[in-house]
Amino acid sequence: MNSTQSPGAAVRIENLDKYYGSFHALRKINLSVERGERIVVCGPSGSGKSTMIRCINRLEQHNGGRITVLGTELNDDVGNIDGIRREVGMVFQHFNLFPHMTVLENCMLAPMIVRKQPRAEAEATARRYLEKVRIPEQAMKFPGQLSGGQQQRVAIARALCMQPQIMLFDEPTSALDPEMIAEVLDVMVTLASEGMTMICVTHEMGFARRVADRVIFMDGGEIVEEAPPEEFFTSSRNERTRQFLSQVLGH
Amino acid sequence: MSSLLRNQKVRNALLQLLYVGSIAALVLAGVAIARQNLAEQGITSGFDFLSKSTGWDVNFSLLPATANDPYWWFFLIGIINTLFLGSVGLMLATIVGTIVGLARTSSNELARLLGRTYVDIFRNIPLILQVFFWYAVITHLPTPRSAYEAWGMLLTSRGLYVPVPNVGGPAMTLAIFALIAAIALPVWLGRTSRLSQPIGERLAIQLAGAAAALAGAAIILAIGRLPDLPLVDFPALQGLNLKGGLRIPPEFSALAIAIAIYGGSYIAEIVRGGFKAVGKGQMEAALSLGLSPWRVFTLVRLPLALRAMLPILANQYVWLIKATTMGIAVGFTDFFMIVALTINHSGQTLEAIGILMAGFLTINLSLAAVFNRINKAIALKGNQLRG
Repeated sequence: MNSTQSPGAAVRIENLDKYYGSFHALRKINLSVERGERIVVCGPSGSGKSTMIRCINRLEQHNGGRITVLGTELNDDVGNIDGIRREVGMVFQHFNLFPHMTVLENCMLAPMIVRKQPRAEAEATARRYLEKVRIPEQAMKFPGQLSGGQQQRVAIARALCMQPQIMLFDEPTSALDPEMIAEVLDVMVTLASEGMTMICVTHEMGFARRVADRVIFMDGGEIVEEAPPEEFFTSSRNERTRQFLSQVLGH
Repeated sequence: MSSLLRNQKVRNALLQLLYVGSIAALVLAGVAIARQNLAEQGITSGFDFLSKSTGWDVNFSLLPATANDPYWWFFLIGIINTLFLGSVGLMLATIVGTIVGLARTSSNELARLLGRTYVDIFRNIPLILQVFFWYAVITHLPTPRSAYEAWGMLLTSRGLYVPVPNVGGPAMTLAIFALIAAIALPVWLGRTSRLSQPIGERLAIQLAGAAAALAGAAIILAIGRLPDLPLVDFPALQGLNLKGGLRIPPEFSALAIAIAIYGGSYIAEIVRGGFKAVGKGQMEAALSLGLSPWRVFTLVRLPLALRAMLPILANQYVWLIKATTMGIAVGFTDFFMIVALTINHSGQTLEAIGILMAGFLTINLSLAAVFNRINKAIALKGNQLRG
């Protein structure tokens, strides 16, 4: 895959359809994300936000439409899938660290095996990113010995160690206590300021307002509204969006 | 005094004393009654009989055995036979169980169906019936003259004849230990180099360890080789019977197959449970990092599943070791059968049963201790709850 030179959008989703059995989870989704763009996806639970971003690295298979990531079409071609997964990092709601490996090993595993990096290089990279997420001193600990916020920051470091061009965040702060949310969001804000292409499913509206180039509101498997944050929060036209915002921001 | 009795610590101590005292009294009474009964029947108790020769023979032994050998030697033969049957049975059961268990967790519907059918059938037929079934099948194999032959082995109704190296006893024992080391060394090396080495180098170190142990075994075999004989003793037909090689009697094969198939059906369920216990999230994380499905399996899914399986597996192994006592049903001279024969011939019932119980306790407690050590060593560190 020759993605670094390939022009155009980082992610292009055209007429995406996804079914779970007879349940129509995603309906004709169209979305284009430019390189360096920061997108926040929000919406009520069950609206298809997670399903959509999980389609981008094929943790879910789409049933219709086209997904193109960094110029490569995501289809049944295993080479394409592997190539795209190498360039797309993902952070999960429940961190999903490997509990039988140390923090450092978690970060070194994929670069050494997938990118065939020598050990010394992989370790240097891992330590650099652990420093960046502000937990270099935890490198030799196991995930189970860390707090939720620390684990999520390790998960971000683990994804970054592959030096991806796009980062997907699937509700990264939903399983965390309030004070830990801040430490994870800080890391994400830093990442955004450095120009990483990011697609974040989150309910952190403060983060959206501060960081996002565009906010996307989904409901019932459709993209209902798509707007820059100021416009989205102050003058959204859609009834469903306004209702959702009043619920999220009301408390 | 009454205030002393109301003290919680004093009360607890008195209760303990009463409890220990009554158990001791029970044991002493039992011993006294047994001694009196034995004296009335004119049986001398004690362990003197261990050094007397048995006067009977065993049908299968990995050690040299004649009717002139003493009882203690026969007990040793019995224990070794039990351990041999146990280890072969457990290994085969583990292989069968892993394959069937993986089939049951497979995404292939046919594999799942086959796996479930296997478990449903073999888990629900009593072990002793399965032993008899396989014994009947094996004893109906062809006679030595029309034996099935494969890789120098001969399969007949009289047993399976396998080629053995013409090597002296001590060298053979050493070589077996070297072979065990070839399996154990990589595991140990993998553990000690865990933090300091990357996965690729770790594998190389493990392979080097295994290769060194194998080379050691080869050297021991070459040195211990018996003079003027070919290196490997192949079984061959001589007259009406087969000569040479090692004869694995039908009793042993029937037991090993039955334990493998019956035990495999239980282990399959343990394997399935172990894989089900691995969170989907960890595998998705591994996939999202670009690891191939095979790497996800070997580096994430299998190591985590093993941790979930091991405690239950240890339990199953202890159970299967005890199941080797089925040997007496088809006449395989395992530890239990040797004890039964000893009781018949010497009348030393209490002593022999004492030795039997002590023997099985030792085997199974050692097995449990080994598994506990492994469990502790690989246990996941810290709190596995999220958040």
